[in-house]
Amino acid sequence: MRPVVVAGAGMIPFERRDEDSLVGMMAVAGLNAMDDAGLGDRAVDAVYVGNMASGLFNHQVSVASALVDRLSLMPAAADRIENGPASGGSAIKNGFLAVASGYADIVLVVGGEKMREVIGPKATDIVAAMTHPSAEYIYGVTLPALAGLFTRLYMEKYGVTREHLTMVAIKNQENGLLNPYAHIRMKITMEGVLTHPQAHINSPIVADPLHLYDCCPVSDGAAAVLLTTEEIAKELNKPIVTIDGVGQATDTHTLQERSDPTDLKAVTVASERAFSMAGLKPKDVDVAELHDAFTILEIAESEHAGFFPKGEGAKALEAGETRIGGKLPINPSGGLKARGHPVGATGVAQAVELVWQLRGEAGDRQVKKATTGFSLNFGGFGNNVLAFVLRRKS
Amino acid sequence: MSNITAYKCKSCGLVMYPHHFRCLQCHKREFEEITPSEKGKLLTFTIVEQLPWGFDERGRVLGVVEFDNGVKALGVILAESPKIGMKLKAGWDSVRMIGDQKVYGLTFEPA
Amino acid sequence: MDIEVEAYLRPPEMYMPPYPAKVITLATGGKLVIRQVTRDVVPTLLQAVKPTLEVERDYYDIVGARLYAELLGWYRYRVRDEFCLVGQIEGLLVGIVNTRSFSPEVDISLHTLAIERGLRIGAHLFAAKMEYSIEYLGRKEVLITAESPIGFRRWMIEYGLEKRDGQHELGGATPFALTRDLYFRNKDRLVAGERPVPADLMEVAEREIIIASEDDILEKILGAKRRLVQ
Repeated sequence: MRPVVVAGAGMIPFERRDEDSLVGMMAVAGLNAMDDAGLGDRAVDAVYVGNMASGLFNHQVSVASALVDRLSLMPAAADRIENGPASGGSAIKNGFLAVASGYADIVLVVGGEKMREVIGPKATDIVAAMTHPSAEYIYGVTLPALAGLFTRLYMEKYGVTREHLTMVAIKNQENGLLNPYAHIRMKITMEGVLTHPQAHINSPIVADPLHLYDCCPVSDGAAAVLLTTEEIAKELNKPIVTIDGVGQATDTHTLQERSDPTDLKAVTVASERAFSMAGLKPKDVDVAELHDAFTILEIAESEHAGFFPKGEGAKALEAGETRIGGKLPINPSGGLKARGHPVGATGVAQAVELVWQLRGEAGDRQVKKATTGFSLNFGGFGNNVLAFVLRRKS
Repeated sequence: MSNITAYKCKSCGLVMYPHHFRCLQCHKREFEEITPSEKGKLLTFTIVEQLPWGFDERGRVLGVVEFDNGVKALGVILAESPKIGMKLKAGWDSVRMIGDQKVYGLTFEPA
Repeated sequence: MDIEVEAYLRPPEMYMPPYPAKVITLATGGKLVIRQVTRDVVPTLLQAVKPTLEVERDYYDIVGARLYAELLGWYRYRVRDEFCLVGQIEGLLVGIVNTRSFSPEVDISLHTLAIERGLRIGAHLFAAKMEYSIEYLGRKEVLITAESPIGFRRWMIEYGLEKRDGQHELGGATPFALTRDLYFRNKDRLVAGERPVPADLMEVAEREIIIASEDDILEKILGAKRRLVQ
């Protein structure tokens, strides 16, 4: 395999975008990545589109073909990659393989989702369509509900408290304030969402023990990266950020069939695989983007990915180690919690943030001297997970 | 009483629900079909305040129950104050409307 | 003004005991004061409503136009038994709600306009006007409808309202009712606020109703960003 460079990164601000179409959003994100790479008129060989549910949200399918048309990239190869909330990560993996294998020299990876076309409860239903049809979906299971089942056990087993969960929300919303691409740009306080006697009205239960401010918003958005070879990247004269590790692993469809439901095996295995490919260890990572669709996940993933021992993630958070300026800043972008979670876009947006961080282009939220980044894109409820290690070459 | 079928691997004895074509543990393909026992205990639960489109209720309790014969399944918990470890008795009732069709599934009451 | 003719044109009014102001601590930690206003402040409120008239998103244009007419009608004595509550953060107007009493038993909820978004201002203000109708005016029920899907979700789904026959005052839409029973069942979950409002907060709120600039209002409603492709 040859090295794969992320030569361009771009996205659009995540929010509710009634006026923009899914393909329009993806096209602008794609152009941003192409322009960032300085691609000019060079041909793109292949396009991979991460998208979970355009058929259900937008009544449109074949969105990869639509995208190459909007960007006039024909006759580039084009595929839509669907892998639930890890669609973006899977699209990057496919782009990585295409360049690494020599199948393509220049690949555009775009992730996008337009979820706000439907009202909240319908979006919840569409997202819940990833659950097991007869053993979960019929009961009204939602992704927050699966996270709620998990959170109760995790809190009991490891002593994680609602204060810890709220600390994740506060930290990530603070980071989001520094990110012009973030959907939620609002500082929240422990008093306002947890300790005030009426805080439960500001942050009502979604799926107990998870409340509103433990959950990511429902967003529209798109993000893109341009992948290429080292030779071409040098011609483009961009700082060299390479994808050194890609790991993916799966777990049972339902939570109840895991011998220990608090054990996110797919996170552990995907992360180990990514680190092993990169020849690095968790301690080498300077900045991480984790999949905090729910606050508990940032804590649990930080442990399962190997950054902290099991049960120590909440302590590291409490000690401020995961803040910008801490030992291992997690989600300087604001994470899914603040940046937003247009499902198919998320895995790509994480890569975009890492590229900006590793190039030193992250503005007010820049993690100092970051040369190694890690991202984790969590599909289903942990049944299909991708991990990436990115590095800045000097 | 419940109407679900669980599967016990004829080779390694692992009890599975829902169905897999190969055993999760030993990958063999022969299973004995088993019915969950009547009672079980609550492993975890959540109170769902925001149900998907199509539900006319809030505060539905969903939980994972381990039956006495090892089957684990998710269902609707009909208990005022659910607690991890509580003993439950399985039932079978309408759990969702899809279109104008009632869909039946597992419900659990305190035993 | 021809006082004699005016007397024919003005609808009669029934007595409404005042709504006691309250303060809500927001997710940001900020303090939202919700209080009743009298008709003399209407010209000030209209400055905040006006910029919404051309905002299609979330039916702000319809909500804004109808609210504008309702407030103006109240100001100039052409609407019967209307009340209006406002939400302020450090004096700044962040939302307006109004309702019209149909009878001593039934109120008709009119509009909820949130000028600041993402803080549940609209939800808190809506809850406050329901609190007024049910708890202070003693109505048996409030008839509700929504122009926007967001309103539909907030009111119909959050409160589990009961469908009613007939037509709602707003465009003849299907009315949904918040009964006393539904209100009290949902109160702990949805109705916030502490009384009395500390004197310093109340003083700031009453001193001046500060209206954000038109650009600010449009920005806050539309979000900071604009569409990508024209």
